[in-house]
Amino acid sequence: MKPPAFEYLAPRTLEQAVAALGAEDAKILAGGQSLVPMLNFRLLAPSLLVDITRIPGLDNVDDWDGGLRIGALTRHHALETSPLVRDRFPVLHAAMAEVAHLAIRNRGTIGGSLCHGDPAAELPGMAVLLDAQLQTTQRTIPAAEFYDGTLSTVLGADEILTDIMLPALPPGTGWGFEEFARRSGDFALAAVGVLIGGEVRIVAIGANEKPIRLLNAEALFNDASDIDAVAEAAGKEVSPEGDLHGSAEYRRHLVKVLTRRALRAAWERTS
Amino acid sequence: MNVDARPKIIGAAVQRREDPRLLTGQGRFVDDINLPRMLHIAFCRSDHAHARVLEVDVAAAAAMPGVVAIFTGADVLGTFNPIRATSRMADYYATELPVLAHDKVRYVGEAVAAVVAESRYLAEDAAECIAVSYEPLGHAVDVQANAEPGGPLLHEDAGTNVIVSRSFQRGDADGAMADAAVRVGATFRMHRKTPAAMENRGYVADYDPGRRALTLHSTTQVPGIVRDALEEMLEIPGNRLHVMAPDMGGGFGGKASLYPEEALVCLLSRRLGRPVKWLSDRLEDLLTTTQAFDEIVEAELACDEGGHILGLRADCLGDVGAYSVYPWTAAMEPVQVVSFLPGPYRVSNYRARARAVATSKAPTGAYRGVGRPISAFVMERLMDMAAAKLGLDPLEMRRRNMVRADEFPYKSASGIVWDKCGFMECLESVTADYDALRRQQAAARAEGRWVGLGLASYAELTGLGSRIAVAPGMPVNTGTETATIRIDSTGAVTAHFGIASHGQGLETTLAQVIAEELGVRVEDVEVIHGSTQGLAHGTGTFASRSSVLAGGAAIITARAVREQVLKAAAHMFEADAGDLDAAGGEIFVTGTDRSMSFRQLAKALYSEMGRFPKALREQIELQATRMYDPYFGTTSPASHLAMVEVDPETYGVTILHYGVADDCGRVINPLIVDGQVHGGVAQGIGAALMEEVVHDGAGQILTASLMDYVLPTAVEIPSMSVHHVEEFLPDNVGGFRGMGEGGTIGAPAALANAVSDAVGEDINVLPMTPERLYCLLNRDEE
Amino acid sequence: MIAVVVNGVSYERAVEPRMLLADFLRYELGLTGTHVGCEQGVCGACTVIMNGDSVRACLCFAVQADGAEIETVEGLGTVDDLNPLQQAFQEHHALQCGFCTPGMLMTGVDLLRKYPLATDREIREGLSGNLCRCTGYEHIVRAIRSVVGRSVVGRSVAGHER
Ligand SMILES: Cc1cc2nc3c(=O)[nH]c(=O)nc-3n(C[C@H](O)[C@H](O)[C@H](O)COP(=O)(O)OP(=O)(O)OC[C@H]3O[C@@H](n4cnc5c(N)ncnc54)[C@H](O)[C@@H]3O)c2cc1C
Ligand code: FES
Ligand code: FES
Repeated sequence: MKPPAFEYLAPRTLEQAVAALGAEDAKILAGGQSLVPMLNFRLLAPSLLVDITRIPGLDNVDDWDGGLRIGALTRHHALETSPLVRDRFPVLHAAMAEVAHLAIRNRGTIGGSLCHGDPAAELPGMAVLLDAQLQTTQRTIPAAEFYDGTLSTVLGADEILTDIMLPALPPGTGWGFEEFARRSGDFALAAVGVLIGGEVRIVAIGANEKPIRLLNAEALFNDASDIDAVAEAAGKEVSPEGDLHGSAEYRRHLVKVLTRRALRAAWERTS
Repeated sequence: MNVDARPKIIGAAVQRREDPRLLTGQGRFVDDINLPRMLHIAFCRSDHAHARVLEVDVAAAAAMPGVVAIFTGADVLGTFNPIRATSRMADYYATELPVLAHDKVRYVGEAVAAVVAESRYLAEDAAECIAVSYEPLGHAVDVQANAEPGGPLLHEDAGTNVIVSRSFQRGDADGAMADAAVRVGATFRMHRKTPAAMENRGYVADYDPGRRALTLHSTTQVPGIVRDALEEMLEIPGNRLHVMAPDMGGGFGGKASLYPEEALVCLLSRRLGRPVKWLSDRLEDLLTTTQAFDEIVEAELACDEGGHILGLRADCLGDVGAYSVYPWTAAMEPVQVVSFLPGPYRVSNYRARARAVATSKAPTGAYRGVGRPISAFVMERLMDMAAAKLGLDPLEMRRRNMVRADEFPYKSASGIVWDKCGFMECLESVTADYDALRRQQAAARAEGRWVGLGLASYAELTGLGSRIAVAPGMPVNTGTETATIRIDSTGAVTAHFGIASHGQGLETTLAQVIAEELGVRVEDVEVIHGSTQGLAHGTGTFASRSSVLAGGAAIITARAVREQVLKAAAHMFEADAGDLDAAGGEIFVTGTDRSMSFRQLAKALYSEMGRFPKALREQIELQATRMYDPYFGTTSPASHLAMVEVDPETYGVTILHYGVADDCGRVINPLIVDGQVHGGVAQGIGAALMEEVVHDGAGQILTASLMDYVLPTAVEIPSMSVHHVEEFLPDNVGGFRGMGEGGTIGAPAALANAVSDAVGEDINVLPMTPERLYCLLNRDEE
Repeated sequence: MIAVVVNGVSYERAVEPRMLLADFLRYELGLTGTHVGCEQGVCGACTVIMNGDSVRACLCFAVQADGAEIETVEGLGTVDDLNPLQQAFQEHHALQCGFCTPGMLMTGVDLLRKYPLATDREIREGLSGNLCRCTGYEHIVRAIRSVVGRSVVGRSVAGHER
């Protein structure tokens, strides 16, 4: 399990990085917590790794009109412990606690997690739930349009994700995040994030090839008395695939259960 | 000094001697051994489960940078004597153990070609470029299908895939069944596990062409067995063939067999005249290290109205993978399942059959508990099922059937003899809070929570002597252990053993035993183990044998040396040897203040001329070698009690309470025994709830990473309460019982019972993953 | 050419870009205390501290560590002078084979520096990225717990002053 040979560059500016990415089979390296295992298994053989972590200014968490602008190189651990995140997006704060383990969170970046796009990863789901705007070196992409399949984004080969903008939530928004994994720190078998504010938003993680809003289920929600019906609809709305950790049926069932739990929690937290 | 005032070293929580080096990164593991001019191997491994190898094209790979040589099965054939795990057992077919596949491959991951290169990175680059063409030979993955005639054969010579078949009979089980008031039975399934030691396997072979001598540094639990096997394969005599196991990162049985790669590095080092290293990576480990616990057991238990066992029947089908491992044979696990099935209970009518079926998967071998986790799982489930049918509490059911103190030695239905030990004491001890836990359970259930309690009792034979083989009729003797203890001219004590400690702390416990028996301090004793040099014969560390056998050898050898010490000291003190004693590194005349140190004595004897008359000098030897043979073995029983909660919606299982009471005989070091139990239980929890090697229908392994082969973390393993019942052990020099495996034997059974109790359905398949519980509990609705 | 400071000692070495930090420490610098168990980030045996954070040395290339300050198990204490966490591991029998131990210690150091570890649950969750196949974790949790209570706080836990 040794990685294949590649060239390595660590540019200091985005422009240099974009230029370097013009090379055939070049690949961006951020925290490396998804990319390096794939290299060690020799699932990939890039000619060049462009390490973007030496580019300054991409790891801040700043106010963005009441919401937050998060640099793509912000490490998971920084997000997990950011007071701004905890205060403005407690649902993201809660989800971060479920991401991997300390040493992985110390290295992994939000940009890397979003661009890797594991369907069972928390951050892509949170981006969809929070209606994130994803700023790249070329354009701004709404989170809901960022993925075009499992482990696949709409980004071009030389396009770098630079910032994640989270619009402010209406005051009093209630939230819920529920996850079920086989072990502490594992990728979710299924997870559900819920917001109840101006509107209700429900996102299922690990249940489709990418995180998805459950629009049909959302439409059924008016108040707490609808929770069971919404949960039932959520279970029907997802189309999970089975793998060795859980069948499609079981994952569908989990989405139902977790939706119910997350909705209850969110409802209790609304004010 | 008064004899009774001597500090007791055996039984003290002495801190481990191996810790300082391991805590500071100064341990020396196989991968830490890097020799000048050393070459590295990477393998090209089969991606077919069962296929004929048509052609191996190494041309492109051979031209890659850093490549020194490439070997295929054909290249090495004829350069060594092939080896098989033979056995005197009837109805057994001993498969060959190819060092590289030739003709055909029998599981995914089997090595087809070896690239030898200047670095592991370069070796892997080249291995990727080897092109192998295969002709698929038909799936032989399913154990039940393979047990029937007509399908593809893995070993054509055998004429069958059923490579072991063995039966047991005592009394008239069928007759007892026919008249019984209560009969319960089911088909039980334990799915395949892998030992997953944190350190992967690895070997460094260093052939010295000048001396024609070979040194193998190996992650092996059995250096002695490997040395003897390599002597046969390579025809290098034992005095020029040194096998040594340095510090080892766990084994659990996965490093207790001879491996193809182990022999191959030796062959290639001799052939190339350079040191050769191969280190398994985790992917290779999950593909090729011997796996375990893959059994289907159909079993039935009959009782009278009072819950007394009348008869037991079982048929065990073991999926043993592609080869019969050396030296244990494929019989080891399935035969143990039925040998130990009757457990600590009175069973007078028993009929059982065990078959080992070859399949196109990695071979199975030893793994902590060997077979007995399945025995306990099946028997303890049957006990609970019968209790439920009779309306008896599971605890009462066990009380009524357990062999009582006045019945020892008790010959079990399969012929195993249980010597005097604390069956009942363990059961009573672990259930001290049973009523309180039942009340807690009732309260939780009243709130709608799914809480369950599960008991499991079992007995195992540990420290097997020469009378009882680990597997029937196998080719090596593991029933003896030799120690050599020597006091050198500096007064320091060195003790050689054939065991290979790899986490058990034997450098400490054996030093404790020797220190106490010889009368020195623990830190005065250096324990040398894991090496074939210094002893004529040894095997290694497996089957919970080391404290019993090496501990016993330590005692008798230390006593022999002590006699010599006192004899020499008697001359110097001009006293009677009977008036002397030794403790703490000092020899003294009891009742006086006259004393001398071991160092002084050794200097006087060895170095100071004229201190001893010639005749006496020639009689005294401050060293001894003794062999210990416990002949049968010692019984190690335990009872486990688990309380679990199952989430009625997600089906996740949380362990609320876990208690163990075991009888380990005389405790040498309580810290270490507790550690063995904790670790064993953790592996049992993994086996019960999480771990499973999964293959698809074509024999591809789906759990090829530690993301997918799910080992428990600190969060899933609960805090445990452990109690040791120290029953006196007759006819055994040290009074020690083996403690290495019990935790793993009891936990799956206790957890299966606890989850069954929680969900109100019979759990007959392990591991109980959330997915399986979901299916079990929703099968009507879906 | 990369420059790193490991346990207070500066090194400059030319390395191939694909050389993993774990292999660099073990084979280039001869610091074999850092162990490798999976090369995919799961087992935690290779955990070292880089610029104050615990990281997986198997998921980092040596070139990425250029300019970094790294602490490994060899920097914690010596056989004759174990640091308090190492001592606690010995006292509580928190290691058996010792293979996971360097990673456990380095994770422990990072946890002790960053988190209050008020409950055993917190310790267990903090350790969830470090697999141990031998101990069943109980004694490791106890060892770490025993150090939380003591005055070893912040960086001094590592016995490596900067
Ligand atoms: C043992 C283990 C457990 C884990 N458990 C979880 C878990 O429970 N939940 C979870 O969500 N994740 C988990 N992860 C994954 C972890 O969160 C990764 O850190 C994350 O997915 C990738 O972030 P990174 O910065 O390391 O990205 P990298 O690995 O460096 O890159 C990942 C991919 O994104 C691309 N990329 C990176 N940054 C950018 C950018 N700015 N613009 C464009 N493309 C970019 C890379 O080219 C690459 O294809 C786990 C990882 C491990 C090893
Ligand atoms: S070797 Fe790095 S986490 Fe396992
Ligand atoms: S002590 Fe052996 S893996 Fe932890």
